[in-house]
Amino acid sequence: MRTWRAILLIDLALALGLGAGYLWWGQQAQRLAHELAIARAQAATGGEREFQGSGVVRASLLDSAIIVITHGEIAGYMPPMTMGFRAESPQMVQSVKPGDTVRFTLRGTPPNLAITAIVKTAP
Amino acid sequence: MLDDDGRAPLHRGDVIGLIARWLHLTSLVFVVGGAALLVLAGPSDRPTARRWEARIVTACRILIVIALASALVAVAVQTATLEARAHAAIEPAALARMLTHTQGGVVWLVRGGLLLLLGAFVAGRAEIRDRADWRAARGQIVLLGMLALGLASGAGHAVAVEPGTAIALAADVLHLLAAGVWVGGLPALALLLGLAAQDRGADARPFAVLAARRFSRWALGLTGVLVVSGTWSTIVQVGSVAGLLGTTHGRLLLAKLLLFVAMLGIAAFNRCLLPALGGEAVGVGRPAMRRLAAFVTAESVLATVVLAIVAVMTVTPPARHEQPTWPLHFRLTLDNLVAAPDFEAQVLIGSQVAVIGVVALLASLALRRLRLALLAGGVIVLAAGIAIAVPPLVSDAYPTTFQRPGVAYQATSIAEGATLFAVHCAVCHGAGGRGDGPAAATLKPPPADLRAHHVALHTAGDIFWWISHGRPPMPAFGDRLDADARWHLVNYLRALAAADASKLLGPKIEAERPWLVAPDFAFNVGPEFSRSLKDYRGRKIVLLVLYTLPASRPRLDELASAYGLLGSLDVEIIAVPSDAAPAAIGQLGATPPIFFPVVTDGAGEIVATYRLFRGAPHVELLIDRQGYLRAIVSAVSDARRDIDLLLAEVQRLNAERATPPPPAEHVH
Repeated sequence: MRTWRAILLIDLALALGLGAGYLWWGQQAQRLAHELAIARAQAATGGEREFQGSGVVRASLLDSAIIVITHGEIAGYMPPMTMGFRAESPQMVQSVKPGDTVRFTLRGTPPNLAITAIVKTAP
Repeated sequence: MLDDDGRAPLHRGDVIGLIARWLHLTSLVFVVGGAALLVLAGPSDRPTARRWEARIVTACRILIVIALASALVAVAVQTATLEARAHAAIEPAALARMLTHTQGGVVWLVRGGLLLLLGAFVAGRAEIRDRADWRAARGQIVLLGMLALGLASGAGHAVAVEPGTAIALAADVLHLLAAGVWVGGLPALALLLGLAAQDRGADARPFAVLAARRFSRWALGLTGVLVVSGTWSTIVQVGSVAGLLGTTHGRLLLAKLLLFVAMLGIAAFNRCLLPALGGEAVGVGRPAMRRLAAFVTAESVLATVVLAIVAVMTVTPPARHEQPTWPLHFRLTLDNLVAAPDFEAQVLIGSQVAVIGVVALLASLALRRLRLALLAGGVIVLAAGIAIAVPPLVSDAYPTTFQRPGVAYQATSIAEGATLFAVHCAVCHGAGGRGDGPAAATLKPPPADLRAHHVALHTAGDIFWWISHGRPPMPAFGDRLDADARWHLVNYLRALAAADASKLLGPKIEAERPWLVAPDFAFNVGPEFSRSLKDYRGRKIVLLVLYTLPASRPRLDELASAYGLLGSLDVEIIAVPSDAAPAAIGQLGATPPIFFPVVTDGAGEIVATYRLFRGAPHVELLIDRQGYLRAIVSAVSDARRDIDLLLAEVQRLNAERATPPPPAEHVH
């Protein structure tokens, strides 16, 4: 075989190898991201679950049995924000007023959660 | 580990790593350039030319071994640095981790593989007769060498550039490759010229002349590539004159530029020598050839030094990420013209004169007859133009002039600065910074009015220097207050100037004209929820409400009922109680409910800072998505009507084009 042909073949193989390696690398990253997304989705819809949170009460709406809480991160469920949660019983709604700092428990199948326990913490 | 200057001390390992990197780069560059010159010159059957080619190929073999060995050493040193223990350099497990788990390691691995392939390739027989085979074989060395060289960018500073990674990377690769062919070709050319200039090398003289001519033509183009890609990298990695003059990276770059210019000077001179090399006749042009060989050798030596500087630069942090230490006691700034518009005409005239001078200099290149006259005239006119235009632009400068504040422009720092100011500064400068303190009358010159417009012309670093080192009769505070405390004062002064300038702001925004940066602040709502103003940047418009109960409650009710609508317009309301009560939410009561953040922790600093802007009991400040303060309302009369006005201003903000985020370093 002529030398230049051999070189051309080597270069083609090299280009293919480098290209395949680069693509494999990219796919690897994509696959990992995909797996992470699936794992997250599974964690979010895995039947009935329970979460703990704490924050400060902003409003207790007796008519709709909703307590609005500005809370910190609820591990495994949601980042810090202000939002309303359904309370299991009206007594719970009555037991807190705006400004109370509270610890609370959420139970249910996400996103269908309700407060099952709420306790006031120091001021 | 950092020493007192904040610099990492140089260990023996670092030096070994640097030498390894330099050897690696230099050998790879010489392989690429040598092989490229072989291809450029083309095959020849003259014995001397063949002797030269054989020597180049042998040199390539040795250089590839050096490149591989030095790469191993560099990887070992890098592993030791990453793992922060010297022993890691000889542990196979640590080396494997570094090579497979870091991007830098993977790049080393791929490049090492390419070098091995290249080594195997060059190890084969050197004698090839057929032209096509010859081109393929020699071209292959260039190709593999360039690949191994260019990939080095994948583990350099260019990868960390954001945004514009791709362009920065492309510029870096082009720069490396162009440097490889040009700089690396120099020693090979010197060798050829030297051989051809010998008595027994006469047969290869036409070949050498041809090679020199082709190389010279290519070098011209490659220099252009080097200048363009180098300029781009400088803009991205250094970014400012202060970075160029005031950091290690910048100064290394300057040294490199100086050597580059020297190389260009020699190259230009060499181009003039080319015609003297003459034609085929034996004996013609031999002295010129010998001289040319000597000059090209000198150029190669300079190139080796440049490569050493490059090796050091690859391990120094880019200037953009360093605090520059300004080396001169003056700086040039156009801001001076804002303070003294009378000088504008002088600067304009001066710059026009300078342009005429430059035109004359350019013309001297074109017009051969008048060259001397135009050259002399051009230099004189240019100097005169500079002498007229520059003096009004000169400002005093200090080593810290271009340093970024060591503490962020943030409410906590400003409040801290206000306290420090009351203790250390108010005696002379007055409680409000007006320069009217109790001790002011006895001082000459009198203490400065810190709200005055000219204060805004100085950088934060200038003011930091004055506080640290004093400005007679003002004493130095460098030994009484630590650096953070002095930066707190700088931030307080910046806020004071901003508050004074904010008098121009009213209830209506000025469309497309953001100019006043809102000081950042951190706040808590309840025990768990903490944010800062900066978190909203690029996402939401913020309405900062400083309220006092009970007067503000009706207005807060209105805001609460409009909260949903405001939210749909991308507005967040942050309410701050002016008494900074931690039980603020409880004090607001239950009805009607308020859902927007009410600050329970951090309110004190926010109030201290923003009260500088307006002192009223109820103040509303509209801050746009880029973090600029755009409108201030301090008297709310008719709540319902004012909500409509607020909505109108928000709509106008939403209709604006996005503007870049505010710069942080100047006290504007």
